[in-house]
Amino acid sequence: MEFYTNAFVQVLSFGPLTAMIGATLLGVFIGALPGLNPVMAIALLLPLTYSMDPLVALAMVAGIYNGSMYGGAIPAILLRIPGTPASIATTFDGFPMADKGEAAKALKIACWSSAVGGIASAIALMTVGPLLARVTLFFGPAEYFWIAIFGMASVGVMVGSDPVKGIMAAVLGLLIGTMGIDNLSGQARFTFDQTWLLGGLDLIVVLVGLYALPPVLQLAEKADLKGLSAAQLRLNDVPFKPGERRALIPTWLRASGIGIGVGILPGAGGNIAAFLSYNAAKNASDDPASFGKGNPQGVAAAECGNNADNAASMIPALALGIPGNVVAALVLSALTIHGLQPGPQLFHQNPVLVGGFMMEMLLTSVLIFALGGAVATRVFAQFQRLPGVLLVPSILILMCVGVYVINGRPVDLWVMLAAGLAGYFLEKVNVPLAPVILGMILGPMAEQSVRRALLISRGDATELLTRPISAALAIATVLVIIWPIAKAMRRRRDAGKA
Amino acid sequence: MEKRQDIVLGLLFAGLGIAAAWMATEYTGASGNYPMVLGLILALLGGAVTVRAVRSGRSEARALIEAPAKMITTAVIATLYVGLVVPLGFYTASFLLMLALPMALGFRQAVYALVVALVFMVLIYLVFSVLLEKPLPREALLSFFASGA
Repeated sequence: MEFYTNAFVQVLSFGPLTAMIGATLLGVFIGALPGLNPVMAIALLLPLTYSMDPLVALAMVAGIYNGSMYGGAIPAILLRIPGTPASIATTFDGFPMADKGEAAKALKIACWSSAVGGIASAIALMTVGPLLARVTLFFGPAEYFWIAIFGMASVGVMVGSDPVKGIMAAVLGLLIGTMGIDNLSGQARFTFDQTWLLGGLDLIVVLVGLYALPPVLQLAEKADLKGLSAAQLRLNDVPFKPGERRALIPTWLRASGIGIGVGILPGAGGNIAAFLSYNAAKNASDDPASFGKGNPQGVAAAECGNNADNAASMIPALALGIPGNVVAALVLSALTIHGLQPGPQLFHQNPVLVGGFMMEMLLTSVLIFALGGAVATRVFAQFQRLPGVLLVPSILILMCVGVYVINGRPVDLWVMLAAGLAGYFLEKVNVPLAPVILGMILGPMAEQSVRRALLISRGDATELLTRPISAALAIATVLVIIWPIAKAMRRRRDAGKA
Repeated sequence: MEKRQDIVLGLLFAGLGIAAAWMATEYTGASGNYPMVLGLILALLGGAVTVRAVRSGRSEARALIEAPAKMITTAVIATLYVGLVVPLGFYTASFLLMLALPMALGFRQAVYALVVALVFMVLIYLVFSVLLEKPLPREALLSFFASGA
């Protein structure tokens, strides 16, 4: 309890508090603009946090993450354009509600549901995270090696449509992670006699390129020259019927449970949580036929589910150092750029920081209630009147300034551009980008763990498999890789027969 | 289309993996083993993608670029911008980008673009140069005027 009391006091100081408020508003704004997404926004933000207090930096990440998950509902409801992939399920009933003149009501339900889901998820993080971290204190280098490999394998096979390409992307990330001077032997690897490569490729530079440039190029391809008209963004206020609000409570409880469960699983994201929550609400309803025609329960389930995924996805990231999704990977990056090593030791070495971040996830969810109301929504919706072609150079400039200020090296701009173009084409050929970044983050941990384990066992590789936990993790890794590949092969065989 | 793309993708990754494994043979002791294993795994996976694509009978259409002219224009202007940020200075190059790129993509409301560019650049200046005091590439115009004076 003292863990959270100390963290709570720190989080309510001026810096983190203003960062949470500002970032939640910024998050709603980013989510509301189709083409921008929380991953891109956090990637652009990270370089600027180098000189900040880590709690302020993490407050901004928490605010943008939670705020944007709600913000994505604004265009999903008003225009049937999901602001983020996680708000696709919100369009099913949100837009029909807006079509019936109930846009403001749908937005209010989305706002409350996002806040409820976010709060439930933060509570799960605050209770399960420290428990899991305590268990992992018994882990040695062999277990850490397998945890890193298990995390990458599960993300590799689950995030894309093709498990082989997902694993290939993870191995590419691992290989990029070996660039630079080897910490254990001092050997320079893949540096091509370039001094700027001795420290390896900067994670944030590659991350900004991979995650910000492809959406910018896609925005340019769409070449939106007009933006939206004022008439498209007009909201009518329709009051709630008696008991309508209370009827949402069972949906919120169900969707929160689903979102938390999905969040803990590596590789599954907010969109899956939203779809599962929506289907569960439809199956539990007395009137399933009304779903898709403007049922408020549909909006509540989708929005509560996608926000309930947020903080829960941080559980494996903070407790094990294994990010379950890209935003969790970005949080780990934020920790590493402040010299902090993610994993169970973080809970003991920096309890205020870990507890503070958990509190920030909770408080930014509460802030959605206060800041995401109809007035703010009306204001943010107006930004959709800006033509998309004007956003393209603006984001490019933010990318360049963000990357340049990290090391003050022009060469980083070229690396970012190359990573972005590679990311654009890799996405087009169904190679997911998240495993590349996870490989870069977890690669050094995996390599150091396996080499330490082999040093301890004097080169006996069976040590990696004979300890009970490491053996279980190794089996789980093999199953995680084989299961989707076997499923894909069976599907292909069945399709061939048909 | 998809089949051909996957063949090329697999060959690229296989080549990358073989090159990495070959380079890793020159590294001493344990520091070479790990990247060598990774390189070989990458080569195997790349080979698997190629073989699967070659054996696959169907080839679905999958456009690599949705709007080639717009994408290439943006990529070329972005490359020019990155190349000009240091010689011209950050703010000069960025202001030119704010005007040139929307125009190149077909936006014809010059005054609108100019106003948005000015507002955005002032915001960037206030955040990065005034509030965060981040050093950015020096403006060539300022140096030119300073030397003139």
